[in-house]
Amino acid sequence: MQSYQQSMLRIILNNRYIFWAVLAFPAAYMLRGYQSGEVIAMDMLQPTGEWSARLMIFAMILSPLVAILGPRPWLNWLVKRRRALGVAAFLYAVLHAIFYLIDMSNLDDILAEFLALGIWTGWAAMLLFVPLALTSNDASMRTLKAGWKSLQRLVYPTAILVLVHWIFIHNNLGPALAHFLPLAGLLAARYFLVPKLTPKGA
Amino acid sequence: MRIFSTLILGAATAAALASAPVSATGAITCKAGPQSSWKSQGVLKAKLVKEGWTVRKSKVDGGCYEVYGTTPEGARVEAYFHPVTLEKLYVARRGEVLFRKSGY
Repeated sequence: MQSYQQSMLRIILNNRYIFWAVLAFPAAYMLRGYQSGEVIAMDMLQPTGEWSARLMIFAMILSPLVAILGPRPWLNWLVKRRRALGVAAFLYAVLHAIFYLIDMSNLDDILAEFLALGIWTGWAAMLLFVPLALTSNDASMRTLKAGWKSLQRLVYPTAILVLVHWIFIHNNLGPALAHFLPLAGLLAARYFLVPKLTPKGA
Repeated sequence: MRIFSTLILGAATAAALASAPVSATGAITCKAGPQSSWKSQGVLKAKLVKEGWTVRKSKVDGGCYEVYGTTPEGARVEAYFHPVTLEKLYVARRGEVLFRKSGY
């Protein structure tokens, strides 16, 4: 028999609105700072971009983790919420782009730096992110059938663009690698250590 | 199998932690001596505004003053200034170097 606490915990863990509230919390915190005037638009760029990349990477490490560790209840719980993680990553990227536009505030400046390696990679990643987010729902999965998985694999070139964008926007390797090395390590581990567990086309 | 994956996970985590503290952008460094001899950021800002700059934000980076703003020519840039002489040392737009004083 389940205790009251256990069933309460189960209800909280399985409530999708609570999960979305958790995903929205960093955004709410950042926007409060901006609203109060303590944080200028320019300084909203780094946290919004970081959360976008972080959530994208979080969504991406789940399948290598399953391949390496085998099925686990907590992993299964996360895999069920992977699309939400991806959509949240996209929404943080949208917020990131909005604050970029607010900060730049005129088209001439945006165009002047458009071809910088750290800038066009960001726009390209954003562009690839759109079909990923738009198809992250049951209806699209049903319509696209096997094509859905190939389409969602666009996340790999997107991730590479995000990595280059992050490194070159500030000539800074540290934080970008801190996020991407675990992902690269896990993908490599899956590739080299568990080829048999990876079903064809997964 | 399990040992290998644990090792890889451990190595990835260690690499992530090791690279985390590297946070200064380190475009250039100024060896300008003790901060007590530096001019204030307010003085630099006033000088730049007089020259036609728009200053959005300034901070200390690599022992220099780093300014985010718009040049008198109208380019959105990130610029470094010597904190004692207030001389312009480095100007970049999103990582593309537009100006670099020789020796820096």
